Amino acid sequence: MAKNGASASKAAIGHKAPGQVAMVFDLNKCIGCQTCSVACKTLWTRDEGTDYQWWMTVNTLPGKGAPKDWEQMGGGYREGVPQEGTLPTRQEFGGGWDFNYDEVFYQGKGNTVHLQPVGPKPTWGPNWDEDQGAGEYPNAYYFYMPRLCNHCTRPSCVEACPRGSMYKRPEDGIVLRDEDNCRGLQFCAEACPYKKIYFNYIKKVSQHCIMCFPRLEQGVAPACARQCPGRLVFVGHLDDVDRPIHKLVYDYEVALPLHPEYGTEANIFYVPPMSPYRLKEDGSLDMETPRIPMEYLERLFGPRVHKAMNTLQGEMKKVRAGGKSELLDMLIVYRWHTLFEPFTRDPVEVGGPQAVKSGR
Amino acid sequence: MSRRLSRRTFLKGAGATAAAIGLSRLVPLPNFDIILSTSARTYSSFEDLYRQKWSCDKVTWGTHLVDCYPGSCSWRVYTKDGVVFREEQGAQYPQIEERVPDMNPRGCQKGGCFSEVMYGPERITYPLRRAKGSPRGSGKWERISWDEALTDIADSLLDAIEAQGPESIIHEFGSGEGGVVHGSVPSWRLTRLLGGTVLDSNGLTSDFNVGMYETFGKFQFASSIDDWYHADLILLWHMNPLFTRIPSAHFITEARYNGTKVVSIAPDYNASTIHADLYVPVQPGTDAALALGVCNLIVDQGAYNAGFVKEQTDLPLLVRQDTGRYLRRPDVDGEGREDQLYIWDAAADALTQASRKTLQLDDVDPALEGEHTVRLHDGTEVTVVPVFSLLRQHLAQFTPERVSELTGASPNQVRRMAALVLGAKRIHILQGFNTPKYYHGDLMERGMALILALTGNFGRQGTGMRGWNSSQLVMANNLKAKTGFEGFMELAENQLSLEHEFKKADPDLTAEMLAAEVERDESINSGLSPLPMSGMMIPPHFYWYWHGGYREAWNNREWADTGMKRTFDEYFTEAIDKGWWDGLAQPARDQTPQVLLGACGNSLRRTRGGGKLLLEHAWPNYKLIVSIDYRMSATGRQSDIFLPAAAYYEKTDFRFPTAHLNFLVFTDKAVDPPGEAKPEWEINWLLAQKVEERARARGMDEYSDRRGRPYNLHGLLKRFAYDGQLGPDDGEKIAEDLVADTVRAGALPEKTNLATFRKKGIVRFTHVGIDAVGMNMATDIEPNKTLNPLQWHVRDKIPYPTYARRIQFYIDHEWFLEAGEALPTHKPTPKMGGDFPLTMTSGHQRWSIHSMWVINRVLSRTHRGHPTLNMNPEDMKARGIADNDVVKVRNDFSSFDVRVKSSPSSRPGQVVIYHAWEPFQFPGGKSYDVAIPGLIKWLHLAGGYGHLRYYRWNWVPQQVDRGVSVEVEKA
Repeated sequence: MAKNGASASKAAIGHKAPGQVAMVFDLNKCIGCQTCSVACKTLWTRDEGTDYQWWMTVNTLPGKGAPKDWEQMGGGYREGVPQEGTLPTRQEFGGGWDFNYDEVFYQGKGNTVHLQPVGPKPTWGPNWDEDQGAGEYPNAYYFYMPRLCNHCTRPSCVEACPRGSMYKRPEDGIVLRDEDNCRGLQFCAEACPYKKIYFNYIKKVSQHCIMCFPRLEQGVAPACARQCPGRLVFVGHLDDVDRPIHKLVYDYEVALPLHPEYGTEANIFYVPPMSPYRLKEDGSLDMETPRIPMEYLERLFGPRVHKAMNTLQGEMKKVRAGGKSELLDMLIVYRWHTLFEPFTRDPVEVGGPQAVKSGR
Repeated sequence: MSRRLSRRTFLKGAGATAAAIGLSRLVPLPNFDIILSTSARTYSSFEDLYRQKWSCDKVTWGTHLVDCYPGSCSWRVYTKDGVVFREEQGAQYPQIEERVPDMNPRGCQKGGCFSEVMYGPERITYPLRRAKGSPRGSGKWERISWDEALTDIADSLLDAIEAQGPESIIHEFGSGEGGVVHGSVPSWRLTRLLGGTVLDSNGLTSDFNVGMYETFGKFQFASSIDDWYHADLILLWHMNPLFTRIPSAHFITEARYNGTKVVSIAPDYNASTIHADLYVPVQPGTDAALALGVCNLIVDQGAYNAGFVKEQTDLPLLVRQDTGRYLRRPDVDGEGREDQLYIWDAAADALTQASRKTLQLDDVDPALEGEHTVRLHDGTEVTVVPVFSLLRQHLAQFTPERVSELTGASPNQVRRMAALVLGAKRIHILQGFNTPKYYHGDLMERGMALILALTGNFGRQGTGMRGWNSSQLVMANNLKAKTGFEGFMELAENQLSLEHEFKKADPDLTAEMLAAEVERDESINSGLSPLPMSGMMIPPHFYWYWHGGYREAWNNREWADTGMKRTFDEYFTEAIDKGWWDGLAQPARDQTPQVLLGACGNSLRRTRGGGKLLLEHAWPNYKLIVSIDYRMSATGRQSDIFLPAAAYYEKTDFRFPTAHLNFLVFTDKAVDPPGEAKPEWEINWLLAQKVEERARARGMDEYSDRRGRPYNLHGLLKRFAYDGQLGPDDGEKIAEDLVADTVRAGALPEKTNLATFRKKGIVRFTHVGIDAVGMNMATDIEPNKTLNPLQWHVRDKIPYPTYARRIQFYIDHEWFLEAGEALPTHKPTPKMGGDFPLTMTSGHQRWSIHSMWVINRVLSRTHRGHPTLNMNPEDMKARGIADNDVVKVRNDFSSFDVRVKSSPSSRPGQVVIYHAWEPFQFPGGKSYDVAIPGLIKWLHLAGGYGHLRYYRWNWVPQQVDRGVSVEVEKA
């Protein structure tokens, strides 16, 4: 049953495993609503010790994200060489606040108190710089960036774990940690260049997104994807040539990994964001300079972002001229469940061992 | 197993709280045992722990009974060990059209954690009474029994009837929170049976789209959200769907991929703009000028759709140049209907009566231009011109250059807008509930409607404006005397006899107009319900003016509309003297409100300036303030008695439906309410029983209201309980009855019943329903087509329910002429609050539905966890303010403290505070609402003119809050 052990993990590392589960997030449909974050939160991280953990976060870019300034924290590889990483502090993650409900509601203090976080005044959190972005009015710009564990093909976290507690499941490429074996040394969190590994201060173990493996095993899409009201998260096997993920990543090349230079070969991909035209001083449209600077997108997604944007914009133009586009039809998603093939089962049909014994 | 840990923690926390306040608010004891017993389980590997976490005992349907647009998201509710532990979207919406995306999954982050709210620290689970000797709002409570609570309330209600008359019992209907079986509805029924005052929910929330109503005689028409996909041009204009319509926004991003152009018009580069193709920045409150600038170019280029304009609008109707009034039949013939208007038939070159029966023109060709001389019956001659001519002259001032000065958008942006409009075949303007919250928001909406009417963009798929519609479900549960078919037929018979009377006065009333007249009658004379009841709803402005302390603010000349020729008081008095509000002006000036029965509403959060004025003026006079709610709110804090209600997964109910979805969405009882919380039907049933019991003890029975309507406390419970047919636990029977009535009305498929909903969770409506609101949709529902309203007018040529019986742009009411608003125009937002350099705007925030969820712990962790004021960095720099600083926002009305959020997307000169934060989230309990004087537009007191007459949710004056004048400084 247990999938832990060095042999299993080594076998899956370093090349795209057959059956690798991947996701594509279309940033042109992301609305920053946090439904994915909350879906994950209510399912996996409600316990004490996990209150501040958000395995799924959505941040506004440009921004410092969560943990704060995570892109400056190292980890991963450059040109195949492991990079030193820093361990994000609890303050850099921020969040997880509790509030003085009882004092405000029941302690007879009237308006001398108001509802606020207990303890030091918060200065950062999982979504502190929401909607701030960059640029100058009216040419300000921003977009939303959902992030979770990238379940990398070359996971530096797995390599960094001195106890061999981490592994990449051979059948689906999900990166997991044997929490029974983990001693909370947090080498994984240091090594992860995406800084998506948290520390459970009650259980004293590291934790991160498990890609809803209990759901995937039952043919149900991960909660973040299935609960996304923006309908922008494709889930599937990367090598499934007939399905959108493969087409978006390999055929159209419009879905790109975040920070490919980190060298871990992320398996979460993004369709980069378009934006409204910039306005010139006189209110006319600046057709030459994109509102979101291409240099910024290149910093996030690497040089391939130019081609991806050209492809997208070319197809948009084609459709506006009355043409048809297989690519845009795919991104439209006429039938919601097709986002997740083959993980299209209704969770109510399975729901874990005790599900649907009664009540349905 | 860590989920167990969390439950234990939760229980432990609840216990600590209970100790602190001397009572146990939230300890579902039976679950405690189960939870402890499961702690012995062990698991072989950590992977199994995760697998086990995702398991459950029971799955039920759920939805969130909140005033969210369109809401109606269908969820599955997962229960384990007697506790709801999570929810996930049901995602069962069928695809309606092959090439249009389906609506799945529907649901947002708030819906995704309602289970957190259910068991959160904001939850109330026992009746509470303000501790003796401590003032309201002090936060000192004692736990009391239901019997004590109900006795206190019953006696106060009886005291109120004796002291000031039944109208002094105020029920704020609120925003439809809590369901259609439960929520505010049972208190609505009970208040009416007592003869009390039920304040209009649209008047309270300011969600009445006034300009649409002025133009169409209704605002309650809306496309289904999937119909947006058919548009080839979407104008996001006063709507921020990325915040406010999270589950529907995908239709916009997907339409864009399908070739639709998306334009965002807003002062700030708001979240929704990021997915637009074009951004048109404008000064707050100047949108009418932009709209009229576009109209000017359309008319000037002769690019309007003459066929649509001649047939569907009032633009061909003739106006007398001497008076500015329509030419009327009594002018011409000395007799006949004054609402018989005229056109000039170009085909016959003759003056012709405009048909009141149909929009069909047949051989008539109404002239849009040209002056004619008409001889009146008294022999005098007057010059008449079509409205279109007046409009053309009026629009001429809105040149791109002039519009640029007014709006800050450049002339070429105005021209580009016009070009986009003229280049589109199907335009949908997505304007939200933001427009009616501007002082001159009606002018903005009228301008938008004019763009679409000039280009024929109504009544076809992919076209129109966003209205609102909550109909379809036959909600007769504040009207019926008996349940079932018998109760239904009683109403039907009353309706028919009323309609018969109305038809005698005007045989040309359409079915839609008749239904509206029946509603009007029900608000004034209660002629529809067989029960002895007070009016259906009452516009709240009389309450605010006479009893809420607003008179002074509304009369402040410095803050007033500069177009006012007289004082607010003069208009207010004239409106009453002319009888425009007869039967609606209550409680009377000398009838001090005694009991506030708040059910699932939050008066002190919602009422603009209420945290200041209502607290200072109305609160001290109230003998008793009651909150019925499942969670602590600002109003709850300021109450005398708090009755704990069931939450959304603890009762069987429906979310009030809306045509945006066109599905009725079901919520089922997954678990019992915790502690002693009860569903609202049961609470009100018990209260009715207690009132009758106390009345008997006090020897009270018959009484009447100021208008002589008789009431009898003897038999109150029987009447409340549908002739004694329903007991306190029979809420589900009402749910069944609502469905049965709706099937009878033909709006749900035959044989639909509660079992259907238990199986499917949602059912699509097949018809718009039979009440006025339903008929406002004026459209057929087809099984395989997205829903688009107004077809009955555009396709079938049935007149609109306006005075002119057409889409009406010229309103010749004497006050509209006095205001210079007979035609759509632009006017600056009054300097509400004084003359200060910054303009405070607002909008619904992403993290709450009104104040529901706003203090929830989990959601508070998805943002900064406290209220913020968004401000442009330039304005911050000029004032020495840094991000996250506490600032004081002040004007001549009041001030409040809040933290600033630096926002390059906000327009310089604009500060944005999204709502709806609870006042107790601000220092001193003073929220942004205290800086909002809560003005109403004086012109909306007009009446006695065609459609400018009140009925439930319609033609109701409401407070505005956008564009308040403020200064911000470091606190």
